[in-house]
Formats: sequence, C-alpha cells, structure tokens
Amino acid sequence: MPMQIRHAKKEELAAAADLIVRTKRLNNEFDPLFAVVGDAKPRAERYVLNTMAAPDKLLLVAAEGSKVVGVLRAEIRERTFYEPHMEGFISDFYILPEFRRKALGNEMLEHASAELKKMGAEFIVADVPAQNEIANRFYVKRGFRALTSLFGRAP
Amino acid sequence: MKSSHVVSVGVTNAQSCPGGGASRRLLHEQVERAQIAGKGRDSSLVKRPKEDFSRKALAYSKFYGGKVGFSPKVPVRSLDDFSIWYTPGVAAVSKAIEANPELSFEYTGRWNTIAVVSDGTRVLGLGNIGPEGALPVMEGKALIYNYLGGVNAIPLPVKVGSQEELISFVRALEPSLGGVNLEDIESPKCFEVLDRLRSEMNIPVWHDDQQGTAGVTLAALYNALELTGRKLRGSKVVLFGAGAANVAAERLLVKAGADPKDLIVVDSKGILHPEREDIDQLMLKNKWKYEIAIHTNGDRVTGELKDALKGADALVAAAGQGPEMIKPDQIAVMNRRAITFFLANPVPEMLPDAARAGGAEIIATGRSDYPNQVNNSLLFPAIFRGALDVRAKTITDSMVIEAAKELAAFARDKGISDRYILPTMVQWEVFPRIAAKVGQAAIRERVARKRLSAAGSLDAAMSMIEHSRKVMRTLRRSGVILDPPE
Repeated sequence: MPMQIRHAKKEELAAAADLIVRTKRLNNEFDPLFAVVGDAKPRAERYVLNTMAAPDKLLLVAAEGSKVVGVLRAEIRERTFYEPHMEGFISDFYILPEFRRKALGNEMLEHASAELKKMGAEFIVADVPAQNEIANRFYVKRGFRALTSLFGRAP
Repeated sequence: MKSSHVVSVGVTNAQSCPGGGASRRLLHEQVERAQIAGKGRDSSLVKRPKEDFSRKALAYSKFYGGKVGFSPKVPVRSLDDFSIWYTPGVAAVSKAIEANPELSFEYTGRWNTIAVVSDGTRVLGLGNIGPEGALPVMEGKALIYNYLGGVNAIPLPVKVGSQEELISFVRALEPSLGGVNLEDIESPKCFEVLDRLRSEMNIPVWHDDQQGTAGVTLAALYNALELTGRKLRGSKVVLFGAGAANVAAERLLVKAGADPKDLIVVDSKGILHPEREDIDQLMLKNKWKYEIAIHTNGDRVTGELKDALKGADALVAAAGQGPEMIKPDQIAVMNRRAITFFLANPVPEMLPDAARAGGAEIIATGRSDYPNQVNNSLLFPAIFRGALDVRAKTITDSMVIEAAKELAAFARDKGISDRYILPTMVQWEVFPRIAAKVGQAAIRERVARKRLSAAGSLDAAMSMIEHSRKVMRTLRRSGVILDPPE
C-alpha cells in the first residue's frame, strides 16, 4: 500500500494523538524534566484538535492506507525583535519504529517545509531535546544549525 | 596430540566429579539450593540432592586450593633443558614468531589455550557478586573445558570499571590465546561486549550464556520437533524471557531457518511488538530487544504470555525462577503435542508435572534430575575443541547450528523419545563428533587458519579429549591428584 503524506483527517485524531504522546515519552528518555503527565492522551487529543482547527498551525500525517504511521505538528510564529520575522516551528515529529530508516522522515520534513513556506514561514526551526542525538543528527544532516540552547535546573 | 607448548592449564591439583558430570548446572543447583533452603521455601518443590553439594564444594575447594593449575608439557631431564625451553634457546623461537606471528599457533600453547573471562556482574543466579566471587565458577568452567574438551582454559575474572575497560582488557589478551569464553556478564552489556569483541578480534570469542544456551536449545528443539512431526520452518515458537539466552536463541533460530514472523518473544512487560509503548526506550537502551520487537511477531499479537501461547507449537522459557511463573492453564492454550522448555535453574519456570497437566508432550528443563536436561556443558567444550583444532578466527552462528544439529543427531542415533531428546553428560563420545562438525563448518565458512579433512577433524578432537581423560586417570592413579577426604 502506498505511503501518503497529507493533512490529518478528523477520524485520525486518536491515532495522531497517540503518536504525539509517544514523542513526549521518547523525550522523557533524555531528561527527567520531560516526565509525561498521567492524562497525556486526552491532552494530546485536545492539542491535536486545536492544531487542526487553527489556520496558523499544521498537522501532517504519514499514512499507509488507514494506518497512521507518522505525525508532524508545526505552527507559524512571529518574532518580535529578529529578522526574518516569521518562523515555521516544528514542535512534534514522530514516526513509528518499523517505518524509520526508509527516508519517510525526510519526506515529511520537506513536505512540512513547503507547507510552512506557503503559510508565510521565512525559515524553519525544530525543537528537540538536547540529548536526543538521533534527532540532532537528523536536522544537522539536512542543513539545520543549533540556534539557541535551553538550560534547565531545579529552582 | 600436539605437544609443542611448554605448560598447559591442567587438572594436576583437581578432582573431577564422578561420571565426568562436573557441570555448570550442578554449580547452579548447589548454590541456589542453599539459597532456597535459606529462604525457607517449600522444599518439596525442589528435589533434594542425595548428597550435600554445598558442604562438599566448600570443604573440597579448601582441601584442593583451586580446581585447575599449570603443569608442564615438556620433559625436564636436567637443568640443561632450560637452555632449550628458556634462554638462550627460546630466543630462536621468539625471532621466528616475530617474523611471522601466526607461528605463535605452532610454537607455543596458544593454539589450545583460552581464557574464561568474567566481570562478575551476573554470576549464576547470585547476581553481581564481584570478580573474586566469580573465580570458583570460572575455575569450574575451566575444569570442564579441560576434562571434556581437552582445552587449556585459564579462569580469569577481572575487576573493571566500565564496559569499555572490559572490552579493551579482553582485546589485549589476543596474542596469548586461541579463544575467549566470556561468562556471567550482565545483560544487555553482554550483547555489546560480545558483538564488539567478535568483530574486533581474530580469535573466537564466545559468550556461553548467549551462544551456548541458544545452541543446546536449538538441538533440543530439533529433536522435539522431529518427535512431534514438525519442522522448524512453519512452527510457532514462543520465547519467554528476553535476556542473554533467548535473545541469542531468537537470532540462532532465524539463522537456522525459522520464520521470524512465527516467533514471539515475551519479556516481563508482555509480548514484544513494533508498537509496544516502551519501543523507543528499547531502541535507546536495548537495541537487541528492539530489533526483535521490530522483526518478529508477524501476526502482531499483543498482551501477555498466554496470548502469545495461543496455538503455539513450542515454548522456550528462560525467564526466571519458578516453580509457578507459568501455570498449566497457559500451556493448555498451546497447539496439540506442545513442546515446552523451562531453562531457569535451580527452579524451572514451571515443574514438569504441571506442564504435563497443562497438556505439554515434550518437556525439558535445565536440571539434571529431570529427563531432557538442556545443559550448556553438552556444547561448549566440543565447540571450542573443534574451533581450536582448525585455529578458527571466530565461531560463527553457522558453526553453532552445525554443533546443535550434531548434538541432536547423536541423540537420534541412540533413539529419541519424549524422555530423551538430548544426550546426557556421561555420553562423552558426543564431544569429538560435535568438535569435528564445528571444525569442518569453520573451514567451509573460511574462518579456519588450518585445513583438516572430516576424518582429520574427528581424529584431532578424539585424541585431545582422550588425552585429557588419560591425564586425569594417570594423575589419580599415581596419587598426584588425591581423592577428597571424607
């Protein structure tokens, strides 16, 4: 069955939310400050619903037939002090393990980049845990460079 | 029998167990029986040994002060001979080897010497008891190598701070050795250590808790499948437990022809499948289990052991101490003529009677007091014998599969039944047969430094193993090795 990359459909809300929760759990592997809340699933469904309804937000899925195997969520953000003004911000990006290492991630990223550009983005940023070396390598390999460092500690 | 090296690790200071059955399993049993007795568990669950192995092990170990030691292989007719065995004569040998390091396999005992290395992090069922605590176990292993395989094995537990340190230590040993046996290293560290050393060293590196257990399991499975009219390809096999033994068993089964889609691996969190909630955690922390989760379980069965067992043909449990970890109602959902192996020692995941009550037809355990003992000692002495005889550079999975096939074939020659799917430890004729197959497989796989004919392989193995038995007989008869005090 051919793989499709497209906007998420209403009936795919639950599946997309499940993958969003997996992203968050994966992040938790890299830092305890990413501990995932107990009711992550309903929160993720509201998050997905909200994303699908907003014109400045993007929810892409990779689907094989009716099976959702990957998700990418992004939004357009305006910068107050810097130029370029408009950034396309990728907040969540997840592909199920058995569909990895097949260039699907690259396709989804390029698809999202094109859509975000149409939505007004002048450049693209992506947010991943500092310790997630796989994700860091993924972006660096595709021409991204680290822009800021976000540090955390107990108060 | 080659005798070009000057000393060998022998049994000059040792006493073998009656019947040559000084097996690892016995060590397991004696240690853990003592533990169970200490915990006050129902002793009827564990058959009481006729003899008090723990008491004897302590008393005899003290009496002999160790189980193996070095002994000369060359005559010392007078002190003048040291001018040959040592300086100045030895310099000529050194120069020859310097010019061609491969000659170290001809002019020294390297060709027949292995190290039994452990970091003491997972010793028997005792856990991380440290390298000193591991030493008596490694000595026992060395003794079995010597007596059953004619292999000079040096017990070598090491104190290392990290995985990298362990890897560099073992790598540095290469010039002195014909092979390395890794032992009692915790999972998943053992996978990385074995994979790295196998790829980086030019002598065989073997981790018995992985390859040995997997090899004997495969042999047992071959005969159990034969008895129940099945083939490996097309049989549904459930592996319960995802530690060293079953991770290796999964790989070996697939190499031997099992369809990965027909295999299901179950760990303490349930059935492994590509979308299990902790799959990303596995990817980061245990890539071996992660790969298994991705490529097995074609039907995408989810849930617990019982869900995996529905319609399964065989169960290989290497999951932890029983005796009621698995219940008869779980076995009852398996296919008819079910095959069940319970490998935990000393208490199997399920006792044979309970498995039979659940409908199992073929039942094997790791214990010597039930029929069908899946015992690593049936393979490792012979595998190294065969590998060393052809100066193998590695022990490939195909060599292990050949060994498993021969182990199974030996039992078939004797006549298999539901109570006899594997040879027993006293049938020592099986060792040279396996060694010969392993040597021939190494030659076919192009990992042998030395070519031998099939008959030559068998002769070499026979003479080495017979030599070891002869040394033991001679040393005992002459009173060099005394019987233990009563």
